[in-house]
Order: sequence, then structure tokens, then C-alpha cells
Amino acid sequence: MPREMMLSGCAASAQAAKMAQVEVICSYPIRPYTAIMMELAKMVANGELDAEFVHGEGEHAQLSVVLGAAAAGARALTGSSGVGVTYAFETYSPIAGGRIPLQMMIADRALDPPGDFGSEHTDAMSCRDQGWLMGWAENPQEAFDNCLINYRVGEDHRVLLPQFVCQDGYFVSHMPGKVVLPDQGQVDEFLPPYNLPHPLDPKRPVSHGPQIRPDQGTIMDLQRAQAMLDAPAVIREVIDDFNRIFGRNYSPFVEEYMTDDAEMAFFIMGAHTMTARHAVRHLRSQGVKIGLVKLRFVRPWPTQEVAEALSKFKAVGVVETSTSYGGAMRGGNLLHEVRASLYELPQRPLTTSFMAGLGGEMVPLKEFYYMADILSKAVKEGKTRKTVYWVGFEAEE
Amino acid sequence: MAVALKTQNLPPIKLIRNVPKEEYYVPGHRTCAGCGPALQYKLVAKAAGPNTIFLGPTGCMYVANASYLCTPYTVPWMHTQITNGGAVASGIEAAYRVLLRKGKREGELPNIIVMAGDGGSVDIGLQAMSAMMYRGHDALFICYDNEAYTNTGIQTSPTTPYGSNTTFTPPGSAIPEGKKLFPKDPPQLVIGGHPAVKYVATASVAYPVDLINKVRKALNVQGPTFLHIHCPCPKGWKFDAAKTIEVARLAIETGMWNMYEWENGEYRYQFKPKRYKPVREYLKLQGRFAHLADVHVAKLQAFVDAKVKAPGIPVETPVPTPPVH
Repeated sequence: MPREMMLSGCAASAQAAKMAQVEVICSYPIRPYTAIMMELAKMVANGELDAEFVHGEGEHAQLSVVLGAAAAGARALTGSSGVGVTYAFETYSPIAGGRIPLQMMIADRALDPPGDFGSEHTDAMSCRDQGWLMGWAENPQEAFDNCLINYRVGEDHRVLLPQFVCQDGYFVSHMPGKVVLPDQGQVDEFLPPYNLPHPLDPKRPVSHGPQIRPDQGTIMDLQRAQAMLDAPAVIREVIDDFNRIFGRNYSPFVEEYMTDDAEMAFFIMGAHTMTARHAVRHLRSQGVKIGLVKLRFVRPWPTQEVAEALSKFKAVGVVETSTSYGGAMRGGNLLHEVRASLYELPQRPLTTSFMAGLGGEMVPLKEFYYMADILSKAVKEGKTRKTVYWVGFEAEE
Repeated sequence: MAVALKTQNLPPIKLIRNVPKEEYYVPGHRTCAGCGPALQYKLVAKAAGPNTIFLGPTGCMYVANASYLCTPYTVPWMHTQITNGGAVASGIEAAYRVLLRKGKREGELPNIIVMAGDGGSVDIGLQAMSAMMYRGHDALFICYDNEAYTNTGIQTSPTTPYGSNTTFTPPGSAIPEGKKLFPKDPPQLVIGGHPAVKYVATASVAYPVDLINKVRKALNVQGPTFLHIHCPCPKGWKFDAAKTIEVARLAIETGMWNMYEWENGEYRYQFKPKRYKPVREYLKLQGRFAHLADVHVAKLQAFVDAKVKAPGIPVETPVPTPPVH
């Protein structure tokens, strides 16, 4: 029987990895994701999980160890946070280009300087263009579910891509939430055994990663791009299966909340969605026509779904927990992708970007009310006054 | 978990005619004429046999062997970054351990061999190599040492000898000797700080039977092993491509290279000349040393003299402990 428990995002992630029966795990300590590895280390020590637990000598090594393990034919798991995520950067393209579907759990964290334990999406977002699936969990339940969903999608032979399975540091990774742990039988029905089509095995010799001529490069890049293009259809299938087997009600790419007849909406992902939802509910009770659209996958970016979901609003506030220094319109990466998604529409909503929660700051209700106020003014005036607001730090013009 | 993952006992050979005829590193690669690293690769592959996985960190033995989507390996091979050969090998070994335990693979643990250049072993690759040794993975790490970053156009590495002319240490009026530093000592790095390691050896392309037997001995050991193989590079060292073996032999005869095995704390020496030839005999064959003045040659000779007095051994080694898995 499925069991309901109170678990932090890290504990939930470790439970998911255990039920996915990961076979090689590689650890290196950095807060806040470390708690995932501490949980898994206990499971291996207690004999609850039959896996090799390798102590990597750094994040670059973590990714390299799991690359070797997954290439040899074992389901492999690693993870990191903050500067650990960026320390391993060299390995991301070879893993994705080698089409090795391993998983990296990221409990996000601001990058230095200066040292900061706080949550921020910038670490993983900096790695978004390498060919990895990527998305954020809003709560421990989603952290659990996303592990299984991503293994299934990534390991599908139509996709074969590695996965960044992200959760906000502390807000999700360390805050206990209600998690329904399924039966092992449900997980086994959902997630078939790891089956790489071309593992390193002396009985069937293969070469992985020989050099190419420049004119052989484009086609391989195109194949990696095509895998990303093919992923959405697989994600839809997988989410249908997941909802059926586990009794959930996920949308594959974007989830809407109180968007019926809404004139404006927050566009958001990750932990702060929970606060945003409360703000929307409160504002609705006061007659403000506002809703919320939550993004579940940053990669593959669901262009069509984002355009469809946002086209019905007059104004959209993109809530970003990362920035792109010197980027177009001073915006963060989410604003850039949102605006690009809307470009083809005959009638586009007004869009503005809210930098909120950088460095691990809380984004309290009053900040969402402030953002909603700016959106209301935009709707009334038919234009946005600024494309980017650093919420709480820049006065409204 | 007392599952025997490896029971192989690859036998030593006595004579060059006993070298296995089967090739696992086949013709068709694009290494230079007289390439020392290619020659050792061929011998290592023969010694290891078919139940082998090679890891190829970036370097000459990646770029020149695996060009244009073709590779010369009849056994599984994977490219790794120049940084992480030891880590990728660790992951493969860990995977096989669990897959064999769970019955998802049959047979026994394959020979997992990292074929890394000097940079991929003791410069940018040092961390991953050291961690593989520390953790006790059952894999062989080979440093095929051609004493420079030659694939990128002959730049100095930590094993490039004092006095070498490389494109990053060109001799000039302010720095007449070219390279000013003395090299790192890879086997001593491994022996000195890695209690899980039980077998380390040096070898040379000049002595193929010895090389093959050291590879086999290393592969028979359960746990991490390290081979440091001297591989002259005609292009990088600037000598006639027909003289690879002659240069390799002279390195040993002059004491520039020492041949030994270290097994469970004991050293054994091979091809130790009764009287060493002057280092100048070795230098004069190679264009990389052509600029050296007598004072520089004397400095190199003094370095060799000190080294061969007790070749390679002034390091206390801890008592090896078995790997923990």
C-alpha cells in the first residue's frame, strides 16, 4: 500500500532513487543537496539498497564516475548544488552528446561570490544548453516524482538524454512536506530496467566518442537537438502513464492555477510557486483577475504550450530566481524564452520580468502583491513601464 | 560480499616469439612514424586480450587513433576528457561490480585500462588518477609517457625533462636551457600516498617482453595498479623516426629512465646497467636538447647521478591495506 509521510525534498529524492533501484551512486559533499547522499549512504550501509556508493573527489569526478557507470550499463545517480554544479561543467556536453541517460539531482544554490548557502536557480540554469532534460520541483512530492519521470523519459531509446532534476535549495530540499510513497510494484510497472543500447561490454565491442572531422559535427549536434525535439511526445506518454499508475494529475509541461477569465498571470517555476498560489488565491478573493502558470520543464522548453497558456492574458509577470547579466532587455533567461515563445502570436500579452529570491531571499506574499500591482497597472495602461524589476531593490518608475 | 569478480591468471611470456599474434589494436590509425605510444598500445592490448575495456583520455592516443569516427580497437573503448580517465574507469568498475553481483552481466570483471598520457596522468588528470588509486578500484592506469603535450604541438608537461626545448619552454637569451624545472615522478606519486595500491611498475617500448609481463601482472592483481611506460616521440623529441627503440634503450643505459617493479612494498629492478653511460649519449640523438650548453648537461647529469645512486626509491611507503568494497 502506498504510504504517506512527511519528508524533506532531499529525503524524498533519496526514496525515489532507492525505488528506482539506482545501481551506482557518486557523492561529493556540498550544501544543500548533500542530504540526498547522506540518506542514500544510510540505505546502502543498511542493505536496503544494493548499489555501489562511490566517494567522488569532486563534482567533476562525480559526473565522470556516473558517466562511466551508465556507459557500462548501470543506472547511475549523482547530484550537486551551486558552484559544485558549475565545477562539473566540462562533463555535461560529453554526457549528453554521448547520449548517456544518467541523472543528476540538483538542490539549487547561489553561485559565489561571496559564499552563500541560499537557493537560486542560476547554478543549473547556467547549464541548460548542453542537451540535458531539466525542470524544477515545487515540493518534496514533485522531487520524488520527477526522479522517476526523468529516468523513464531520459532512458527511453527515442530520447537517451541525461537529466537535471532540480529542486530549490532549502525551500524544497530541507522543508518537510507530505509525500505519498508508492509501492515498489507501481514503480516497477512504471520504470523498466536500465537498458542502454550500446553499453561497454567486451562481448559486444563498441567505441564511444571517437574524434570527428568538422563536417561530421553538425549532424551529431542535429541528432542531439532532434532528441530534444522528440522528447515532448515521450514526456506526454510518460506523464499519462505516471498519472494512471500513481493516481496523480500532472500536466506534462505547464500547469495552470485560477487562470479562467484571468487578465494577468505569474509565470513561475519551483518552490516560490507555493507562495504565488496563495497570493493568487488571496487576490482573487479581492476581485483581482489573476492566475498562475507553472513551468515543469525548462528543457525541452515547451514553446507551444507556453504560448498557448500565456496568449489568453493581457499581462504576464515572469518570476525569475536567476538572472542573465547583460542579457537582452536586462531580463533573465525565463523572460527571454517566454518572449521568444510569444513572438509568433498575432496578439501577445505584455510581459515583464521580476527578479525575486536571488541569493536565497524569501519571496513573501507582499512581494507577490507588489508584482500583481505592477501587472494591474500594465493591464490598465496597456503597456509595461519596465521590462525588469529587481523586486524590493528598485523603485517602480 | 565475497563474490570472486576476477580469477584470471594471464601467464607471463618468455620470449618475443611468444607474444600473442592476436591484435586488439589494429592497423589503420594515424600515429606518426616511429610512434612510441602506439607501439606500447599494441603491446598492452596483446597482453590484456579480449576481455578488456580501454579508456582514452584526450591526448595523442585519442586524437591520432580515433580520427574521423574510426577507431583501431577490437575491444570496447571510450574517450574520456583529459581530466577524468581515472574517474570514468572507477565508474565502469563500480558498474561491473554491481551488475555482476546482480547477475545482469555474465563472466568476470573485464580488464579496465586507462591509457593516459603524461598530462592526463599527473598534470590535469592527477586528481582523478589519484582518487581511483585511493578508492581501490580494480583497474590499471597506464601513463604512456612521451614527456610532453605533443598532440597540441609539443608543450612542456610535468614529466618533460630539464633542458627540453618545447613550444612553451623555448630556449632564448634570457632562458638558455629552455625548460628549467625537473620532472615529477609519477610512480613515486602513486606509491607514496595510496595504500590500496599493491603493484606499480615502469616499463619501456625498448623491452616488449618485460612490458607485456608487467601488464599481465598488473591485470592479475585485484585492485588498482599503475604502469609508467617510457615512449619516445620522434616528432616531439626531434629524432629520426627509425631510432625510437635506440633512444628508449639509451634512456635506460644512461639512467634517465629506470626500470623497476614495486610489489607490496618491495622493489625489484630490471635492466640496471653495471655502468651507466654519460647522459650526453642520450641527449645528442635528440633535437630537443640540441641547444644545451655544457653547464646544462652537467646539471642534468648531476640529477641522474643522484637518482641512480638508489634509483627512484627514497620514499617511505605505507603498509598496503586491501581495498574496501
